[in-house]
Amino acid sequence: MKPFFLWRHLNKLRWVSLSVVFAMLVLLPYIHVYQTYVAAHAYDLLAPSEQRVFDVMETLTQPFTNDPAEDLDAIKGNTWSGTFWGLKLSDPLAALGQMAAGLTLYWPFLLTALIPIGLSVVFGRFFCGWICPATFIYELNSNLASWLRWAGLKVGNRRLDKRIKYGVLAIGIVLSAATGSVLVAAIYPPAIIGRELYYMIGIGGFGAGAMFFLGTLLFDLLVARRGFCRYLCPGGALYSLLGRYRLFRIRRIVETCNDCAKCNAVCEFDLDPLRDGFGQECNNCTACIAVCPTDALTFAVRITDYPAQGPGHLGRRYRGEHEDVAGHEEAA
Amino acid sequence: MKRRSALQGLIAYAAILAAGALPYGISALLAPRHAAAKRNYLRPPGALKDDTAFITACIGCGLCGEVCPPRCILFHSRDGGAKVNTPYIDPEQKGCILCNKCMEACPTEALTIVPRNEIDMGIAEIDQTACFPWVDRGICGACVSVCPLGDKAIGFKMWNQYRPIIKRGCVGCGLCVEVCPHPSLPIWVVERPQQFTDNAKGRA
Repeated sequence: MKPFFLWRHLNKLRWVSLSVVFAMLVLLPYIHVYQTYVAAHAYDLLAPSEQRVFDVMETLTQPFTNDPAEDLDAIKGNTWSGTFWGLKLSDPLAALGQMAAGLTLYWPFLLTALIPIGLSVVFGRFFCGWICPATFIYELNSNLASWLRWAGLKVGNRRLDKRIKYGVLAIGIVLSAATGSVLVAAIYPPAIIGRELYYMIGIGGFGAGAMFFLGTLLFDLLVARRGFCRYLCPGGALYSLLGRYRLFRIRRIVETCNDCAKCNAVCEFDLDPLRDGFGQECNNCTACIAVCPTDALTFAVRITDYPAQGPGHLGRRYRGEHEDVAGHEEAA
Repeated sequence: MKRRSALQGLIAYAAILAAGALPYGISALLAPRHAAAKRNYLRPPGALKDDTAFITACIGCGLCGEVCPPRCILFHSRDGGAKVNTPYIDPEQKGCILCNKCMEACPTEALTIVPRNEIDMGIAEIDQTACFPWVDRGICGACVSVCPLGDKAIGFKMWNQYRPIIKRGCVGCGLCVEVCPHPSLPIWVVERPQQFTDNAKGRA
């Protein structure tokens, strides 16, 4: 059984998606700055550097807009909460955190988290692998770590307890309820990045989250590979819980697996595809599918993982155990 | 024996929960505290009146700032505390033009849509011991000519055509503060006195 040929190219598509999201988060503040210049009708009063921003943004957006001040309002915001042609979408963690902070239900806001929640129930923790702007930087950081290792430097690769992130989520909710402010927003990297990029470009200067984010990068580099996502991210914990019984999951085809363990090595989330151990924390990033030399990983529509299927049939261990059978068949 | 392993499990979960508090502590430590502003900042139009309720409702997504045409909405960023990442308007830098966009953009109840003359960001107050026309240092009228609500909100004193007075229709947008040429800003937006909010505001 061959997996559908596109699955092994999904990882490239995922990088396109991550890059587009990140590029949008950089572009949107510039678009906003450009809109304010347009609204002020004061091109001549701008400083030369501001005029350069105006010119570049005008060139970029002119094919798509008649009236920049209005038309460019179509896409606004970031992955924490945003508007797409009037459709408001919010991170489920934002909804949960705000609900906990206020101890009230505000339906118009909770409804904006409905589509992301539905998608997470179907696709699991896909946000982490496919959209999260912090993942973009964390994966680059993790590549940097492997270059550093190649250059002979020591980088951290400790394993901590994966349940800590559920603790972070629980503590965050409790602290939000106790202090009455949405505390998870302060430590949730995609929210930090969306905000800080806007502060940096739209207003000037960094906010409180930038240092924290740099700290998480160092943590990933020096302590544990992808440590924040694996062990600490409250949003990742929430998405994991939502995606526990996800419909689309990766499965191993035991007949073509040769036990090479490249999937385990490439997995950013320290899962165990080799022994069918995907679990709720798999974010369907498809890196393991892309790296598999024998096309032994594919997608399955199931709400639970396949039970452990034992060693791969092309692997040395399985052939050693079944040698007599194989020899029998050849003889017959 | 069984009880002992249950106890160990309990301790393990407690340790996991305690470790979960660490990122919050670090983020709180990393946010340096600046001195409080000398004068009060405004919340964007349509904000919940109770500031603690506002902080609770705001998720810090920055959408209000990102749709603001004059870019007047700024964010409490490094002053730490509970206000972090919530929006404010500093009328000294830029006043609000009352365009409704931030209220429409806000996903939560922090900013709700209210009609233009029922917005309540505060009310302007003029220091009559400093304002140029009030101390007979020439004529000005900048605040009156810039006001988006016109003579419902600000006007001249009856017998002296250049001394501005605030009327009760003022919603506190702060444009007058932005244009005031006096170096010490004798006009500023303050909290609306109670008797103004009691009898139906906006009808005046």
